Amino acid sequence: MTTDAQVNDYLAHLRTALAGMTLAEREDIVEEIRMHIRERSADGQTGVDEILARLGPAEELAQQYRTGRLLQQAGRSISPVLILRATLRWARTGVEGAVVFVIALLGYVMGFGFLLLALLKPLFPARTGLWVGPGVFDFSFRMGLLPAYPSATVHEVLGWWFIPVCLMVGPLTILLTTKLIQLLMKRFRWQLPFVTGAHTQAAMMTG
Amino acid sequence: MAKPLSITFEVESSERWEAQMRKGCLEMAVLASLWHGRLYGLEILRVLERDSQLVLAEGTIYPILNRLRVEGLVQAQWVEAEAGHPRKYYELTAAGRERATQMAETWTEFSAGLGYLIEPVLKSAPKANMRRLAAKKGKELE
Repeated sequence: MTTDAQVNDYLAHLRTALAGMTLAEREDIVEEIRMHIRERSADGQTGVDEILARLGPAEELAQQYRTGRLLQQAGRSISPVLILRATLRWARTGVEGAVVFVIALLGYVMGFGFLLLALLKPLFPARTGLWVGPGVFDFSFRMGLLPAYPSATVHEVLGWWFIPVCLMVGPLTILLTTKLIQLLMKRFRWQLPFVTGAHTQAAMMTG
Repeated sequence: MAKPLSITFEVESSERWEAQMRKGCLEMAVLASLWHGRLYGLEILRVLERDSQLVLAEGTIYPILNRLRVEGLVQAQWVEAEAGHPRKYYELTAAGRERATQMAETWTEFSAGLGYLIEPVLKSAPKANMRRLAAKKGKELE
């Protein structure tokens, strides 16, 4: 492969891997990297192979751009999907990230669980409710694996109020989870995976 | 069998720590390199290579600059250069200056405190340091 073809190949990979960004953003990045390669090779001492190797694989470079962007968006957005994706990526870098991901997941499962219960109540009124009794305080849908409570000690207390309560508690749980995760992301900013990847770390260590 | 394994682990975990530390310092280093005026990506890399041991995969610098730009700490501008091709220059914004100052102060306090703390370690354990350097050298030779 000629050097030009090699560079174009690298940039094409980069462009593909940056999918999801706006065209303008993508072209700006590709252009900047193209100029970097051109300028690096201008001194005539460094071969294109080495320049590309020092840049790192195109996919990994793109990944760093995308991760940074994802975490920024997650910091502002209230979308659970974005938050989960960002924490999942964080989770791949270590224990702290994994803990945060589990918190996010539990929070959202609970939040959406409440919403699901609100939907189930009109369909299975006798089996869905807030059950209260000695040692029991349980929002649930009792069927299948969850047998009905013995009715003498445990009662359903909300009746049809169950629906509005779930419709309030569900979104509130989701919102609080999002806010909590964003707070954690801010606090542990330095651990966020902006600069990770095996190649990068190896290159950083061996110089 | 157990011994080489434990040495490998030791080297790896200390290198991981080092990589983490460098990663943490990189943002400050990039902001500081722009203190005297605008630079383009490769110039920033050269400054970092010259003035610090923050050797890094060259590609890394660009996503960091991109993020600093989105955060409003630097601003970027394409400039038609005498080299015959355009260059993307980066410049600190007011917020970037403020952040760099803040980071530099925190860093100085932090490293002064730590420096005091680790002084006896450096004095009495030169061997450990030698071993680490030897391990590093061995790796470079591979």
